[in-house]
Amino acid sequence: MTLDNINKPDIDRIIRVDHAGEYGANRIYAGQMAVLGRTTVGPVIQQMWNQEKDHLKKFNELMVTFRVRPTILLPFWNVAGFALGAGTALLGKEGAMACTVAVEESISAHYNNQMRTLMEEDPEKYKELLQIIKKFRDDELEHHDIGLDHDAELAPAYSLLKTAIQIGCKAAIFLSERI
Amino acid sequence: MRRASDEQKQELPPSSSQQRYESHPPGDRPDQEPQRSHHSYTDQGGEESEDYESEEQLQQRILTAALKFVPAHGWTADAIAEGAKSLGLSVAAAGMFHTDGSELILHFVSQCNSELSNLLEQQQKLVQLGQAEKKKTDQFLRDAVEARLRMLIPYIEKWPQAVSILLLPHNIPASLNLLTSMVDDMWHYAGDQSTDINWYTRRAVLAGIYNTTELVMMQDSSSDFEETWHFLENRIADAMTMGHTAKQVQSTGEALVQGLMGAAVTVKNLAGLNQRR
Repeated sequence: MTLDNINKPDIDRIIRVDHAGEYGANRIYAGQMAVLGRTTVGPVIQQMWNQEKDHLKKFNELMVTFRVRPTILLPFWNVAGFALGAGTALLGKEGAMACTVAVEESISAHYNNQMRTLMEEDPEKYKELLQIIKKFRDDELEHHDIGLDHDAELAPAYSLLKTAIQIGCKAAIFLSERI
Repeated sequence: MRRASDEQKQELPPSSSQQRYESHPPGDRPDQEPQRSHHSYTDQGGEESEDYESEEQLQQRILTAALKFVPAHGWTADAIAEGAKSLGLSVAAAGMFHTDGSELILHFVSQCNSELSNLLEQQQKLVQLGQAEKKKTDQFLRDAVEARLRMLIPYIEKWPQAVSILLLPHNIPASLNLLTSMVDDMWHYAGDQSTDINWYTRRAVLAGIYNTTELVMMQDSSSDFEETWHFLENRIADAMTMGHTAKQVQSTGEALVQGLMGAAVTVKNLAGLNQRR
């Protein structure tokens, strides 16, 4: 998989949206830590945040290697992510966990879609990228399960909150792919 | 065998990555002029002979040949007609193109950009092999912009006409596309690795520098365009200063925020509001 032999428009989109996603996830966890950092659930959130930082680092590298333009909405995701994290954290630790569950579920489904697309196109050529996305998807699923383990479902208006956040995620994915 | 394409080879350095100014579907890579790349006997189409040339390749050849006639005829259908004639084709071939010379200009810009890419790629290879020093960013950008603008020198008389045609609404998407990819190339080879909003600001600034320098160049009558390069040097220096100032503002801002947070914590402590529940 080199700069010359890839399907550039498709790979551009994939890397751009994934980069935006990991960037947003970082900011969400940062927001959660700002509110809940010194509570008992702090270390759990910190650990998930560290993994997201690694993910972001990887996409930064891919972005440079494949000369992908970042989404111009990054400053917006910066603020919106932090606000979402802090806002749900203010609902209590269950709220923060519910946010994590919602977001990680969306991201996992999104990564699955991408893997399907890449496999349909050329599993051999995109083997490395597929492995990366697969690993990240597994990490996100782990976060999702951690969220459930920490009483996400006890959050106030859990289904409503979860649905609203997931709609937001879908919109974010749609926009970041294009803009 | 190949019609006049051998003489083409001397005029047009084979560019492996010739930028297209039309948008092409990803799977359809247009064939480059000097190469023969239709494997006719395995083609589904079947009837093409071995030196079949697509319409696009033909258009490219005519436009490249037409460039010789631009200093005399301007960026016009006349130049294209002369170009076609010089290849042994009928002047009616100019009818394939619009009358305002847009395609000729876009073709020229695209060609210059490819040449620049190749140049920067070669320079990069030399640096990687240790045969050349790595330039500092401002020097690199100065040299890249100068190299690119120097390609206009043979056509500088008629260049204002070209710029005004490129600004016509129906040409703006294509010319903007060419400008942005050129600027992206320059920053890429300069070593830019930004993945945030800086990606945009850097390119916007460089595009601004390029365009203003181009305008100065069209009015410059000094020997070897000295004033233009001097202007360029100043603009690049301004941009670097702007970058440094932005960084300083940011770190001052961060320090300020830290200070305020510290003050807030102190106040909370003094007021007894910081007790652990």
